Amino acid sequence: MLFFYSISIGNLEKSQVGFFTVIAFNGVSYFFSKEIGVKDVNFEISQDEFAFLIGPTGSGKTTIMRLIYMDLMPDEGFVTVGGISSNKIKKRKIPMVRRKIGMVFQDYHLLSDRNIFENVALPLHMVGIRRDEVRERVMNMLNELNIEEKEKKKPFELSGGEQQRVCIARALVKEPEVILADEPTGNLDPVAAHDLIKLLENVNNEGTAVFMVSHNYNLIKNRGHRILEIQMGEIQNQ
Amino acid sequence: MIDKISFLLIEGFRNLWRHKLTASTSIFSVFLTLFLIGILIIVGQNSHYPIEYFRSKYKIEVFFKKDTSDAQEKIIIEKIREFPEVRSVTPITKKDAVRIFKDQFGEDVVKMLGYNPLPGSAVVNINKDGFEQVNLEPLIEEIQSLNGVDIVRYQGRLISRLERFYQMMINLLKISTGVILLVSIVVISNTIKLTIYTCRELIKTLQLLGATKMFIKVPFILEGIFQSIIGASLAFFTIFGLMKAGNHYLPQLVTLRIQLDLYFGIGLLIISVVIGFIGSYRAVSKFL
Repeated sequence: MLFFYSISIGNLEKSQVGFFTVIAFNGVSYFFSKEIGVKDVNFEISQDEFAFLIGPTGSGKTTIMRLIYMDLMPDEGFVTVGGISSNKIKKRKIPMVRRKIGMVFQDYHLLSDRNIFENVALPLHMVGIRRDEVRERVMNMLNELNIEEKEKKKPFELSGGEQQRVCIARALVKEPEVILADEPTGNLDPVAAHDLIKLLENVNNEGTAVFMVSHNYNLIKNRGHRILEIQMGEIQNQ
Repeated sequence: MIDKISFLLIEGFRNLWRHKLTASTSIFSVFLTLFLIGILIIVGQNSHYPIEYFRSKYKIEVFFKKDTSDAQEKIIIEKIREFPEVRSVTPITKKDAVRIFKDQFGEDVVKMLGYNPLPGSAVVNINKDGFEQVNLEPLIEEIQSLNGVDIVRYQGRLISRLERFYQMMINLLKISTGVILLVSIVVISNTIKLTIYTCRELIKTLQLLGATKMFIKVPFILEGIFQSIIGASLAFFTIFGLMKAGNHYLPQLVTLRIQLDLYFGIGLLIISVVIGFIGSYRAVSKFL
């Protein structure tokens, strides 16, 4: 694992010294042509940490996420993910960063023409894992998330909650360094949303960092996790 | 690595089924263009039959000077035979000329005049093989310059017109094949572009999951190649069937037989793979 040791700098008082850092923002600004994206963002997410990013619509949450998976590159400062820095990486190496991240999306992003097994297996095929090992790892993951009997179903045959579980299985199967969840409860009813947070907490307890974006404060409050608040492109509170 | 390659190969195959509507459009356009190209190739391959027939009728008549002896005529004929363009030379001695005159006009010229006024001559036939234009002018000049040759007669204007027409046809075939080939690449590339456009969500998801450009591109390129191979196979079997039917019925109309060889099938396959590769690579590169 290519973690680098966390160095607490400036206002990063909550960085957990003693743990490895998986995501670090160092003076990051990104400007869209007509509006501010994010400005002078500094924070770190450590290994084993569960952190929420909360803010109203248009505050810059999605920009932060896109900067993490290097869909956007900072205009100022740099983002480091799993030891790879945005100011040093070549464009063709960006997929290597994304392989360290397990992505969970609000609208699942499951491939509708493939069954559940094939969807979850996809990240493993990308790195050239042997066919029999792929089968074993995918089935283990589906078992852990209690969706093993859905193996041969297509995504549209599943409920929203089940589809989100498949999305989490696909994110976890490649054993990422961090799970990035972009409003994963957005399309779920309150019970399914609560179950999903519990599931992500279990994932975190197993040793994977989770960084989740949400605009539903009621859902994430009183859970004992760090909450980063973003307003108008600036982190207000960590 | 082998697992990754086999996965991409299977994905390419499965994409054919997943995108069956656009795939069938693409296969049909490949079939149509390769069918046309195939027909043009066959026409080109068999175009030598009519030109060979005409060339076999090309005739150069060489008349010797009156004072040339039979022995000298034989020497001149041997010299003519040595020219590479010459297929055969038929000598017509002075005696033969008298006989031919009698056959054609019913009169014995020697009895009429008391001597033989007809000169010895030779009929020269030229080589009929090859797609290149036959230009008889240099050969005529060389024969004319031989000592003992009086006049050389041939169907100059007709031959050059026929040869020009044949060359024009060959060039037209080449240009048409090239144009159809280019059009087919553009058509296939656009059809695959359409397929990829419908898969832009899939591509975005794959990118977010950490797929490299190559991992995304390869199944689409393979899909394009498979589509082309299927289209080419359909075109080959259609042409083969038409050729069989043509050869069954044509002999009753003309003496020519249409031929199709193994290289034709291999050539069509290679063309299809090239078209499929270039077309799909162009299309997928626009999106990645």
